Amino acid sequence: MNALTHPLTHLVNLQSPLNLNEYSQQGGYLGAEKALKEYSPSQVLDIVKNSQLKGRGGAGFPTGMKWSFVPHYDESDARSQDNKYLVCNADEMEPGTFKDRLLLEGVPHQLIEAMIIAAYTIGANKAYIFLRGEYHLAAKRIESALKEAYQANWLGENIQGSEYQLDLYLHTSAGRYICGEETALINALEGKRANPRAKPPFPQVAGLFGKPTIVNNVETLSNLPHILKNGPDWFINISPNSDAGSKIYGACGRIKNPGLWELPMGVTIGEVLNTHAGGMQDGLKLKGLLPGGASTDFLLPEHLDTPMDYDSIAKAGSRLGTGGLIVLDDKNCPVAMVLNLLQFFAQESCGWCTPCRDGTPWAVEILTRIEQGKGTIDDIDSLLKLCDFMWIGKTHCALAPGAVEPLKSALTYFNDEFMQHIEHGCCPYHGAY
Amino acid sequence: MSDDNNTPNTVTVYIDDQPYQVSTDDNLLAGVLSQKLNLPYFCWHPSMGSVGACRQCAVTQYQDENDQRGRLVMACTTPVTDGMRISLKDSQSETFREQVISAMMTNHPHDCPVCAEGGECHLQDMTVMTGHSTREYKGDKRTFVNQNLGEFVGHEMNRCITCYRCVRYYKDYAGGTDFGVYGTSNKVCFGRQEEGQLESEFSGNLIEVCPTGVFTNKLFSAHYTRKWDLQSAPSICSFCSVGCNTSVGERYGSVRRVMNRYNYDINGYFLCDKGRFGIGFVNGLTRIRKTKGISPQFPNKLSRLDVSKALVHFKGKHFIGVGSARASFEANYYLQQLVGKKQFSLGYSHNEMVFAEQHQQFLKHHKAPSLAEIEQSDFVLIIDEDITQIAPRIALSVRQALRNASIEQAEKLGVPSWQDSAVRTIGGNTLSPLYLLQSKATKLDDVAEAVILQKTQDTIELLHLFTTLLQNNHELSKLSDDNVSLLNKLLAAKKPLIVGGWSHQSSALFSATIEFIAVLSKAKHTLRACLLPPEANSIGQLALMDENSLSIEQVLYKVMDTEDEIDGLILLENDFAVLNDAQLNCLKETDKTIICLDHSDNQITALADIIFPAAPITESDGHLVNYQGQIQAFYQVHPSVLPVQESWRWLSLIAKAIYPKHALAQEVDSLAELHQLFFQQDANWPLNTAANANDAKAIKAIAREPHRASGRTAKMANISVHEAKVSQSTDNYRFSMEGGDLNHATEMPFTWSPGWNSNQSIHQFQRKVAGQLTHQANAQFIDFTDIKRVIEPRTPLSEHQQCFYPQIPWHRSGLQSSLNPEFALLHQVNKVFMSSTEIAKRQLMENHWVSLELTAACTGEKRQYIAQLLLDEKLTGDLIYGDIDQLPDRIYSEVSVSIASAQQVESYQNRCQQLRQKANQDKALILEKLKVQDAYIPIRLVSGGLDNA
Repeated sequence: MNALTHPLTHLVNLQSPLNLNEYSQQGGYLGAEKALKEYSPSQVLDIVKNSQLKGRGGAGFPTGMKWSFVPHYDESDARSQDNKYLVCNADEMEPGTFKDRLLLEGVPHQLIEAMIIAAYTIGANKAYIFLRGEYHLAAKRIESALKEAYQANWLGENIQGSEYQLDLYLHTSAGRYICGEETALINALEGKRANPRAKPPFPQVAGLFGKPTIVNNVETLSNLPHILKNGPDWFINISPNSDAGSKIYGACGRIKNPGLWELPMGVTIGEVLNTHAGGMQDGLKLKGLLPGGASTDFLLPEHLDTPMDYDSIAKAGSRLGTGGLIVLDDKNCPVAMVLNLLQFFAQESCGWCTPCRDGTPWAVEILTRIEQGKGTIDDIDSLLKLCDFMWIGKTHCALAPGAVEPLKSALTYFNDEFMQHIEHGCCPYHGAY
Repeated sequence: MSDDNNTPNTVTVYIDDQPYQVSTDDNLLAGVLSQKLNLPYFCWHPSMGSVGACRQCAVTQYQDENDQRGRLVMACTTPVTDGMRISLKDSQSETFREQVISAMMTNHPHDCPVCAEGGECHLQDMTVMTGHSTREYKGDKRTFVNQNLGEFVGHEMNRCITCYRCVRYYKDYAGGTDFGVYGTSNKVCFGRQEEGQLESEFSGNLIEVCPTGVFTNKLFSAHYTRKWDLQSAPSICSFCSVGCNTSVGERYGSVRRVMNRYNYDINGYFLCDKGRFGIGFVNGLTRIRKTKGISPQFPNKLSRLDVSKALVHFKGKHFIGVGSARASFEANYYLQQLVGKKQFSLGYSHNEMVFAEQHQQFLKHHKAPSLAEIEQSDFVLIIDEDITQIAPRIALSVRQALRNASIEQAEKLGVPSWQDSAVRTIGGNTLSPLYLLQSKATKLDDVAEAVILQKTQDTIELLHLFTTLLQNNHELSKLSDDNVSLLNKLLAAKKPLIVGGWSHQSSALFSATIEFIAVLSKAKHTLRACLLPPEANSIGQLALMDENSLSIEQVLYKVMDTEDEIDGLILLENDFAVLNDAQLNCLKETDKTIICLDHSDNQITALADIIFPAAPITESDGHLVNYQGQIQAFYQVHPSVLPVQESWRWLSLIAKAIYPKHALAQEVDSLAELHQLFFQQDANWPLNTAANANDAKAIKAIAREPHRASGRTAKMANISVHEAKVSQSTDNYRFSMEGGDLNHATEMPFTWSPGWNSNQSIHQFQRKVAGQLTHQANAQFIDFTDIKRVIEPRTPLSEHQQCFYPQIPWHRSGLQSSLNPEFALLHQVNKVFMSSTEIAKRQLMENHWVSLELTAACTGEKRQYIAQLLLDEKLTGDLIYGDIDQLPDRIYSEVSVSIASAQQVESYQNRCQQLRQKANQDKALILEKLKVQDAYIPIRLVSGGLDNA
């Protein structure tokens, strides 16, 4: 494990993260120094574009392209004087996903360095880390890293003599899943209800306080110091597959060795599950899995050879999402699992648009009855209709379609189990309620 | 949302393969509705734009004619583009729209029978429109605890379908701060943080904005009838000078409610609470329903003969006529003509006459902007006038004008104004500049760029300084920073607006304002200005004013003067509220005859020798002239029960008895006949009756009742099983469910269209959504351009240094307000505001009770009040203002404040308690009486004057 093979995690120390000195001695802040001293913002932008870095928050949008949407007004335009903002989305709340926590708790300076680079590139003088409220330890560690960075003049005015100024604030969230949606996050940051905003305008043009804003995920940003240090070609070459760079994959469920591993982009599901996570616990068989968090479609054992990159997972009928596997074994009820997930999504709906607000609880009501053995054959039809009702293009944001993904795929793959519940009048796994 | 109805920005849109010409100024939903096609929606509102929350207006959009699949788009957030192809009838969008309703219905309680919205519920209409008719949801419904939101607005959260219109209206549109949205998922709740009276003076619009029965009109619910059983008439709000158009509904002879009546130029979709909830005065306990001083030949029946007998002694006698700004334009004109201009008073004090004259001259040169025009402003200056209380609807328009800066920012990014949430995202807190020069805190302070709190005297000096600087192009060095930026921004603005008014009763302020506007408008041609008078027909009064018009002081002088040959006074709906105690005593002592025409008891009817019960606005035909000089008609909602009748009908009887030789002493049976009579005598009579008469002939009289009104033949069965004759109407509306096409009404008594039972049906009657009405009558204005300057304008009595600035809340002004017990309940506690230095100087304590002694400037009378002393951090120096209940005057020359004793406070609190109890008792009593009345329904309702006995 070294800086070139495991750029994101080689400095992670969960017991006691590196302080600024230690981090610098290990090559830390070199990327930021390079960016500030050797490159203009547009040169950094080119480097990031060339690196083919894609967002690691779940959607996989090319980072450089996202940044390039930030408008550059002529000096004559009053808007050129406006603030711009960089926001790090550290509101990690996707069930089954805990990769950002590793970086936040294990190597906070890497994120700060990354944010300096990103903020410099887009011309932001103010940046926020929007942190999941429950990440108390991360909050503590980031606060102390921020203090150090200010003291060492990596933050504040005239950073390292570059005349560039950046103020970086930590904002701990009051806690809603929907704050992971970037515009809901921005609303929350402004002190408003965490409802996603209508788009356009996109945050790159009018985001926080109406000003141009870039929101990036922790893992996405954390790649930047290394791309700056080692160049875009190195980054592309980490992965032998179609997507560039490394990725922190995770796995949870009844497996031998749940955890997180930084691996080249595009390793197969089987490699993550069997090689790194140690396979299923004794006596259990793999029934299915969600490849990238709760809001992705189920995949089956037959998909184990699928590479975990954006396109391949999509071709298999799911999404790479956060790259955190949730594994379902053959002794657990898929209906109960889907019900559990839908309860989460129904609870976390912001309540703005009708399909999500009233559709997800409706799905919960039906699933509850099926799981309790009180379902009817019509309920399957109703669920399918609800899946259609909450699908992409019909809702205000991606939350409800995300909820549909495990539900709809479960209805396809685990139809027999649903039918058993209905026909036997009880759950074949848990028995009568 | 566009201000122009005739923009040629239309393109071809194929809707289900049919080409339509659709405007690109608004979104696709508005475009579809403008074609009179049905497309259901909830969260979108024509005045509030699109947010895409409810997803109800989904349609399928196709790339081109070969695209068979299409994709769903939300019409409200989709711009109209040339050649776009959409379908409303394809199964994809139809299915989805039905699903949206069925999802909303998972929690709706289906309690329509007990819901005040039933029969005019947008949710009911949309449910039927989407075809949703069976319930599939089998689970429990979520429930909420409802709140008491005060006197006016009922709250039943279980009915909520979470469209967010209420909170967007209350907070974003109307700037309210005590209402919000709480919770998430399907437990989103709308209301106040804590129970309590809604503080916004626009809270009543929640009732119309809510697409279902979450927010309902408590006053209406207390004495309820279904919409289809209401008999309604187009009316005009009689509470302030704005002249909002209202639709007033009644049943069984009592008025039940007021709804907004859409008028593009004036009130648009919204009313203030005074207009909506203040109508109860017509059902008040002190309504005058019998004559006084006239003994009828047959009991319970008054005839014309009785009237002329009673008045026969006065034949040829000299009367002074005193009109009023709450009486109709016709009645005032009639009275002035009968008694003669030299014997006529508008009901203004000398001081008011001074600025009434100035106002008249002002109107000669400046046309006041409509509310729609006010909303286009990009700079607003308000000069020492609390428009939020004196003309609330204008304040609401000013709030909208302030959004123009954000709209402009959004447009730079290519985001159209109707994309409400996008505009608010882009604009953030950006507002167009509002400057307030004022002497007390107002409810617009929160959106003002600068609040310059100072005494009126300082404002007058500042205006003089501005005027001088503008005239001489001087440097602005003498001014403070705020004032420099005020003037600079005013001069830089494209559509600046200045608002002033009568409230301070200061002719010096008035003339300084007018002078400033006059000088400024030379430099700035786009400047718009309006001066707000206090009452519904104040400007109509100005049209009648000339050099002969008497002031109240002159009237009293003539009454007291034994030399003068005056035999009496005829008071037209004037309760002489401007009189002080001494002046009132003069009237008490006089032996001259006082003839009153009014609808409710007051201090003057108590002195009257003869009282003619005048019909209030809901039982009258007539016209009022708003702040712009626009003449607007109101119509009887129901016939008055004799002897109550319109003042102008009484005046015609009085004319025949007292002035038999007068050209206007003729019998008139309708307002149209009266106009004709006026026109024959006076070519300058401003109401173009001939044109109106033609209109009336062309259009079949419109029914005041909807087709579905029930019980026509049974309504009076408790009296007689024979079907009663329909009451005859003398105007263009019938007291019936049968009549001409509502589509042809220039003023609609109510709004209804097949499939659209709620007020949302209005777009079926608009040229395009949020545009002018299809059959909007041409607005008629009083022409002030020919008004001649009074040769010698009155000189003001000495200006008083104002020492205490009273805040007069909207619910506490004038006789009609005082007749609503609900309004009395709004008063919390007397408050007086001072600066910290003033509190220290007077050795007082913040938040303590004080005793306040005020000296009225005109009479020197001293009065004491108990009030809570509060600190206003924006105040400097010795400026003091406050909200004190039952203040008789506006100008106070002295104020002394001391700590109140515990005894004083206790007795004040007891008094408040008693007043509240009294108001609550009155409320219950009125309701009880009305319900009794319903059981003994009327009596043959006849309109058109007394019978010939």
